[in-house]
Amino acid sequence: MLLDLPSNRTESWRWSDLSALPALAEARPTGRVPDALPWLACAKGLRLLFVDGELRDGDVEIGPLAIDTRHPLGRLAGKSGWSLRLGRDHAPPGLVQIVHVSTGAADHLAAEIVLDEDAQASIVETFIGSGWTNRLTRIVLGKGARLMLSRRVMGNVGFVSFTDQASVGEGASLVAATLAIGGRDTRLDGEIDLAGEGAYAEAAGALLARGRQRHDANLVIRHRLPNGTSRQLWRSVADDRAACSVAARVEVARDAQKTDGEQSLKGLLLDRGATINAKPELEIFADDVKCAHGATVGELDRAALFYLESRGVEPAEAKALLTRAFVADALDRIGEKDVREAFYADAEGWFG
Amino acid sequence: MLKIENLHATVDGKAILNGIGLTLNAGEIHAIMGPNGSGKSTLAYVLAGRPGYEVTEGSVTLDGEDLLAMEPHERAAHGMFLGFQYPVEIPGVSNVQFLRTALNAQRRARGDKELSAGEFLKLARAQADALGLDMEMMKRAVNVGFSGGEKKRNEMVQMGIIDPRLAILDETDSGLDIDALRVIGAGINRILRKPDKAVLLITHYQRLLDLVEPDFVHVLAGGRIVRSGGPELAVELEREGYGEMAA
Repeated sequence: MLLDLPSNRTESWRWSDLSALPALAEARPTGRVPDALPWLACAKGLRLLFVDGELRDGDVEIGPLAIDTRHPLGRLAGKSGWSLRLGRDHAPPGLVQIVHVSTGAADHLAAEIVLDEDAQASIVETFIGSGWTNRLTRIVLGKGARLMLSRRVMGNVGFVSFTDQASVGEGASLVAATLAIGGRDTRLDGEIDLAGEGAYAEAAGALLARGRQRHDANLVIRHRLPNGTSRQLWRSVADDRAACSVAARVEVARDAQKTDGEQSLKGLLLDRGATINAKPELEIFADDVKCAHGATVGELDRAALFYLESRGVEPAEAKALLTRAFVADALDRIGEKDVREAFYADAEGWFG
Repeated sequence: MLKIENLHATVDGKAILNGIGLTLNAGEIHAIMGPNGSGKSTLAYVLAGRPGYEVTEGSVTLDGEDLLAMEPHERAAHGMFLGFQYPVEIPGVSNVQFLRTALNAQRRARGDKELSAGEFLKLARAQADALGLDMEMMKRAVNVGFSGGEKKRNEMVQMGIIDPRLAILDETDSGLDIDALRVIGAGINRILRKPDKAVLLITHYQRLLDLVEPDFVHVLAGGRIVRSGGPELAVELEREGYGEMAA
């Protein structure tokens, strides 16, 4: 496959490092799936297992999907994939869990999540392994539908890229929360359209990086109609020579009066050699809106560290406590207790 | 218990402590008084090991061990507690989580068994009740949204839970109304007035010393102890001010 990748000279790709992708695209998968997979312990629910982009286990429809995108990575995802369609008032029993295993090569997969009027679902996607996992996901929420989408990126080496396109209908709600730990680089692109009146969207994430790792998130939330609410809440932590970048934009169209938008992008540097980029943007054409935005980058509070240590907390534990507290805002957006606690438990390993 | 000899310390290269000598034996309460800028808080921070406070001369031992060679958390595990003049707010970390982590870290360091969540909550509730702090506040983030008085009560609740052998209380009385002062004074007496414990009480005013009667009173001025005496010295200071002594 000929890879046509964007260069760093393009503004929206300036913080990404795609240099590992050509080799991964040429690599051959080992096909070895670990014995233990990170399923969350819950009695009910649907489980899907994808290995190198192929459905290995689970009951889901795989078929042609026509998702229109010009995104340079998203468009590689192809014309077929899985889809989850829920009819009016429908909700699957329990969580929908999807585990994506990559065994050292590149795989591309599209997906479509369509919830009709008042349908609701909670989906947890977990990414493990060592290759390049590339995903294009279209989300369409009908009137009053509710989707909680939680993703955790784990694994040792490699790359994970998401291209998400979401359309949120009247009074519908989309909450998407991402946790990136482990050693893989990530590139997250999300476009969320608040296409119905009174729609609600939330994009939250905790990006944790060390070594020379890079996480790069690019979000756009578009308010098209009145009374919409959006929240973007990102917490980045970079250690060593790692870099975390978040560019988040809110667009408010002329008709989208009474929009309530909030952006909070915070970065924590654990080493002077690490990098945090935060780029909040607001583009507002309506005149009766409330849009708050904030971006901060800092180090751990020395006074707080000393306070903790003076009470007997060991220095490493004090740092872990404060780092955990820093990302808690983002992980707390996850609605289900079981999922939230599992994500916290994964993050614990990172804090040390 | 605590032996300070010829202690000199600098902050940002500026000499603040200029040869302090002081010995605290078990069972004693010492008060340190003195005007603003005399070095009282610096002494407290130096003893607790705050980064940025550099000891340039002298020695401090705790039960014969070199205190200055210990990290702040090791000093705590050896039984030292610093009551902060300005307690720090820590968003996202609950008091309960913080104190259980701290207490169990100390217990681990001393080779004691760690407390379970249930055992800890029982202990925390008892101490919060004794100091009139709502247990609900203990579940909230450390000092976030607490009034000045609540922060000081929280310091005392923490002290009750940790149950140190040596407490250095830096202006624990500042910013308190008379009722809160009474509660805190009673707390100090209950937790620390014991034959195996010692207290260094740093204060500006006589008020707290009416409630927690010191065995010794020292006047700090210019980074030195310029006068020492019994409780009557505090009364004299209240009447006549620091003027002559500090000069």
